[in-house]
Amino acid sequence: MAFFETHFFSPTLCFGTDINVFIPTPNSDELLNNKSSDYFHEGTRYQVLYLLHGAFGDYTDWMRLTSIEKYAQNHKLAVIMPSASNSFYQNMKYGSDYLRYLTEELPQMCKSLFPISKKRENTFVAGLSMGGYGALKLALTKPEMYSCAVSLSGAIDAAASIAQVEAGERNAPFDYEAVFGGTHIEGTDADLFTLIKKLQAEGKPLPRIFQSIGTEDFLYPANVNARKKLETLGVDVTYEEHPGIHDWDYWDTHIQRALDWLPLVNDSVEE
Amino acid sequence: MAHLNCSFYSPSLKKNAKITVILPTVSADDYLFHDNHPDYYCEGAKYQTLYLLHGSYGDCMDWTLLANVGRYAQEHCVAVVMPSGENSSYVDMLHGEAYLTYISEELPEFLSKIFPISKKREDTFIAGLSMGGFGTFRAALEHPERYAAAASLSGALDKTRIQNSQEAHSKKMPLNYRKAVFGENLEACGGKDDLRVVLKKRLDENASLPKLYHTIGTEDFLKDSSEDFINYAKELGVSIEYVTHPGIHDWKFWDTYIQEVLDWLPLANNMV
Repeated sequence: MAFFETHFFSPTLCFGTDINVFIPTPNSDELLNNKSSDYFHEGTRYQVLYLLHGAFGDYTDWMRLTSIEKYAQNHKLAVIMPSASNSFYQNMKYGSDYLRYLTEELPQMCKSLFPISKKRENTFVAGLSMGGYGALKLALTKPEMYSCAVSLSGAIDAAASIAQVEAGERNAPFDYEAVFGGTHIEGTDADLFTLIKKLQAEGKPLPRIFQSIGTEDFLYPANVNARKKLETLGVDVTYEEHPGIHDWDYWDTHIQRALDWLPLVNDSVEE
Repeated sequence: MAHLNCSFYSPSLKKNAKITVILPTVSADDYLFHDNHPDYYCEGAKYQTLYLLHGSYGDCMDWTLLANVGRYAQEHCVAVVMPSGENSSYVDMLHGEAYLTYISEELPEFLSKIFPISKKREDTFIAGLSMGGFGTFRAALEHPERYAAAASLSGALDKTRIQNSQEAHSKKMPLNYRKAVFGENLEACGGKDDLRVVLKKRLDENASLPKLYHTIGTEDFLKDSSEDFINYAKELGVSIEYVTHPGIHDWKFWDTYIQEVLDWLPLANNMV
């Protein structure tokens, strides 16, 4: 893998921001083990996964706390890890337009700078916790761009997460007034189920969804509930639950399940 | 000179933060020609430290990418800490992150545990350009007991006037971000984050202020508004060393005159 810590000015955010990027390249492990290593050609592109962090985190989290590089190498998958602050992947009422940055500016820039596929069928988004919600939010905002979305321990029922925090059941760094313009998001585009109904009414294609949650996670009941809502809406959702809590052991393990689920060709793609 | 890109979790920002740090170390020049170079690695030796703030639309990499700060820091044997403050003006945002607390409290305490950085007021300085010039004075007036000197380069010292300006720096800044910083009606500009208000408050408390310095280009669009603050301070009996040079609001000016700031600071040019 070639690794790029990339720093640039974002006109959407109006400040400098960072992404970590992996692009598959032949490596010594393949040479030593007589594995196929013939995938790095002029003009080839790679399937790409946008990988989102959770609350309190940033673009460095996935690299520091999981073996994502190794997993991506095994699948010959490009990975792009951006930062979105504690924005809940929204265009904030008081703050920055992270959703617009992630769904418009970033893909446009990455498609031009890196050899990643431009096709929907090769473009995926995944994330953990706030980023699990974010993965679905991005894919449902631009369903013509992403074919699959992965939520690991995701706060996909954002209204339920807000209620948990408001009830003082756990801590969160969110200023809901700044993020959503208040604590009542039902019926708005911040509510994923509302967004899905809207897309269905417009006859737009929905992304396929992979949903994974630890049975001891504080978001477990909300995820069980969200699964029911998704299935009732007729969304193509693959649901998994496993023993585990809301931590990096879970995400390091189950991002591997998610990669097995994604329609990866484990090779470069020709376009 | 060691150049460090640091990434860590900040409790006051409630998210990961990045800083760029320069620590003077044995350079090739030291090794080749200066047998009497500072004893950088001596047990107990500490660095004097300059906190150096970027302007709006910038971040923690600006000073090293766009000016020769590494070289100047090595020449003066001063550690330089460059944080990122987004477009927060380095205040505790009304809806958002507590950058003032981060810059003036968390960062010095955290870094003095990690690096051999002096914690003494006499060894701690702060400077910045444009929005960072404002942030410099804002931090220096919030914690005058922490800084021996504070220098503004082309500082945006009059927030209210700038917010209402038709100049691109103000006009092109997203309104939802500006409201996050200063409130729905940008009220904090003329309130808790108005340098006039904070300065008056400190004087009423008989605080001992850091040495203050302001330099700006004669063609800079912020010249008149920043001068108003200098004059206001003078009326209150606070002397701010004020120097103008031909120039505009650009990196040519900041790369040139950060060198004068370093000459003005009470630097030991050695480990302390």
